[in-house]
Amino acid sequence: MTVAFPKQAFPGRVLEVTLPAAEGGTPVIVGGQNALPLAPEGEKHNPVAVGMEVGTGSGEIPPSLAHALGGREKDPVSLARACEDEWGASFIFLSLSGCHPDNGSQTVAMGAKLARDVLAAVRCPVIVGGCGDEEIDAKLFPAVAEAAPRPVFLSYADEKNYRLVGGAALAYGHGVVSWSPIDINMAKQINLLLSDIGVPPERILIDPLTGGLGYGLEYTYSIVERIRLAGLSGDAMLARPVLCHLGDAWKAREAVDASEPSWGDPDVRGPRWEEATGWACLAAGADLLVCRHPGNAALLRGTSWR
Amino acid sequence: MALTALEIYKLLPKTNCKECGLPTCLAFAMQMAAGKAGIEKCPPASSEAKERLGAASAPPLPRVTVGTGDGAVVLGDEVVLFRHEKTFHHPTAIAASVSDTLGEEALVERLRRITALSFERVGQTISVDMAAVRCDSSDPARFARVAAAALSGAGKPLLLQGPASALAAAVKEVGASRPLLCPPPEELEDGAKLAASAGLPLVARARGLDALEAALAKARAAGAKEIVADPMPEDAGRAVADSICIRTLAIAHRAREVAYPTAFDLGGGFPNPFAAACLLVPKYASLVVLDTADPAELLPILTLRQNIFTDPQRPIQVEPGIYAIGKATPSSPVLITTNFSLTYFTVRSDIEASRTPAHLLIAECDGMSVLTAWAAGKFTAESVAKILLDGGIGGQVEHRTLILPGMVARLSGRIEELSRWRVLVGPQESSALPSYLRRLPPAAFLPANG
Ligand code: B12
Ligand code: SF4
Repeated sequence: MTVAFPKQAFPGRVLEVTLPAAEGGTPVIVGGQNALPLAPEGEKHNPVAVGMEVGTGSGEIPPSLAHALGGREKDPVSLARACEDEWGASFIFLSLSGCHPDNGSQTVAMGAKLARDVLAAVRCPVIVGGCGDEEIDAKLFPAVAEAAPRPVFLSYADEKNYRLVGGAALAYGHGVVSWSPIDINMAKQINLLLSDIGVPPERILIDPLTGGLGYGLEYTYSIVERIRLAGLSGDAMLARPVLCHLGDAWKAREAVDASEPSWGDPDVRGPRWEEATGWACLAAGADLLVCRHPGNAALLRGTSWR
Repeated sequence: MALTALEIYKLLPKTNCKECGLPTCLAFAMQMAAGKAGIEKCPPASSEAKERLGAASAPPLPRVTVGTGDGAVVLGDEVVLFRHEKTFHHPTAIAASVSDTLGEEALVERLRRITALSFERVGQTISVDMAAVRCDSSDPARFARVAAAALSGAGKPLLLQGPASALAAAVKEVGASRPLLCPPPEELEDGAKLAASAGLPLVARARGLDALEAALAKARAAGAKEIVADPMPEDAGRAVADSICIRTLAIAHRAREVAYPTAFDLGGGFPNPFAAACLLVPKYASLVVLDTADPAELLPILTLRQNIFTDPQRPIQVEPGIYAIGKATPSSPVLITTNFSLTYFTVRSDIEASRTPAHLLIAECDGMSVLTAWAAGKFTAESVAKILLDGGIGGQVEHRTLILPGMVARLSGRIEELSRWRVLVGPQESSALPSYLRRLPPAAFLPANG
């Protein structure tokens, strides 16, 4: 070819981050690349990691998801085992949603115990998410940090609670997911704040808030692209692996509504809705994806070429 | 490679004659470098300057039009690599394939399914754009017949895939509809000559970028003017990598040799076509061909395309104002929401599902969702009160009761204070509106006394 592919030499490189596993398990290593996703250039040693969400709440889940999980969604420990052993999840995102007053009202102690049980049941890395209620999470994160028998990542630290979550992580040797609402400046700010209190950079993942397909995905797409471009161009605070949580895809009416026959079989449409959200995040530059549908763990993982 | 202002300046007459409307040639050069002016605005420029600068200021990616009239599909003509830099203009066209070996009934059914792939989302129609007719029969007459049937049956622009002899037969039937001709790589030259003589657009196909570059040169030499490039990848990974290479070369490096819109055929046993389509929509494909006609797969792909191709500076929005839903009367409920299209159409369809006629007030919020607008200070007690007092709704209803989105319950006290309307806090999610509205006592909307 007379016109060779123009190699973009970026000055920066995404920091490599390791999510530790239990003995005998495989740690997840992400980041380390010095190029944009999917382009045939640069060094990309680490494939995108695809994990699965394990919820603990009592809320309803969409039927197409329930079919696929085969009843295990009622038992977080057995669900987590299936995610790891049967469906090939590289890590577990344990969402302690059941501690929310509207979603089961489990006590903080119960939440921490569930985290311990799940950690004992699987060998892969685990990220532990709060319930979304500010006051409860303020007690839940320290309790989980203390109860966890091995290092996890706590999700998430935002502008309000970063001292608490960062502090709990530091005290017990965990990592932190830093969260901001689709805003590159806030993403940078929260990482600065975490580094101010001493959280080591190789223990931080960025969660930019993932809007589901049709419901804000385009905003997430561009923020992830901008975070990646800024990081590769040398902004160290943004040169961190990005985690996209695909759960919002399941909130879309198009993903779950069975009353519109012209939209096709909801058992196909639901997982495809999540999968499409995942591919877009991957194209934008995500390093970790969290999905709910078992089939999608395998599909989205099949990208050794990223 | 784009020229700098100084490089452009060197080619200008440097007389500062002002015919271009700018005070100096340097000022004009700066405008040109910024892509805001073209050399045609400088009449005294030498012919050498016109030629060199004309090429430099031409759009980085040519535009190819397939089809005619309202349904015409535009491929290419993009100016940025990342949508946040400006916007992506021409959505990836999606074509569904039709084989010319289908029997009469199967063909009609296939075309019916393709036409049915059309959905309403946030006030826009999103649908499959083209039918790709494949010559699997090796019978030119049959191919031409099926192409004509596809054109009238699906009513969409055509992509014609087949040997040059079949394409020639089909062009006689459907040439006036401006189909896109796609000969196999080994018959590129004949296909290109046909495209040139009929004035039609052409797909040049060859596996790999080196072979593709040669194929594009061959197509140009044979006289084809509007060309689309297909690097014939074997899997999704190769497809996105090729697509990224071609677009990066075109836009960031102005490499004319490969600066063409791209087409990818994801049918005929291509592994994992759904994944490939989802990656190719944001990553620059101008056209993808799919064998599936399953709405459960196409609705997500079309929605992804709609998301990626919206203008990042301007969310899809609706006009602020008072919208009557159903046969709204002076005693029907009044609700309020923002002018973000996604919010408006979601709320509207939920009110419709309740079968309760209502007045829906749309607040001007720069196209932001309820919580985003609240967080940005665009949806406030003051702005809501102003709509209630000055927006004309007072003349349309007898009562003075407003239903507020549940997410902004905290505004209710202040709205009551400022407007003297009564505020009812509605559900957080509008999907709960049908049961909420049905449970509301009619007394809530009795005429206000005094
Ligand atoms: C996409 C998005 C954006 C986009 C903008 C999208 C847009 N055009 O509005 C961008 C990235 C620009 C953005 C910006 C900001 N955002 Co924002 N954003 C979101 C996100 C992810 C989705 C919003 C959305 O599209 N929702 C879908 C629509 C349909 O929802 P909706 O309008 O609320 O309508 C629903 C209900 O309200 C209800 N409803 C609507 N109308 C009515 C009417 C009646 C009568 C009733 C009963 C019900 C009802 O039904 C609808 C369907 O359920 C949300 C988080 C989330 N997952 O919700 C955050 C979110 C709304 N954003 C938030 C914030 C803080 C911001 C920023 C201030 C932060 C920042 N980044 O600087 C800015 C503000 C904007 C600015 N300064 O310019 C916060 C708000 C926090 C809060 N609790 O107040 C949220 C909740 C994220 C979070 N968890 O922190 N955002
Ligand atoms: S018209 Fe051409 S020569 Fe005259 S001032 Fe403008 S750029 Fe210079």
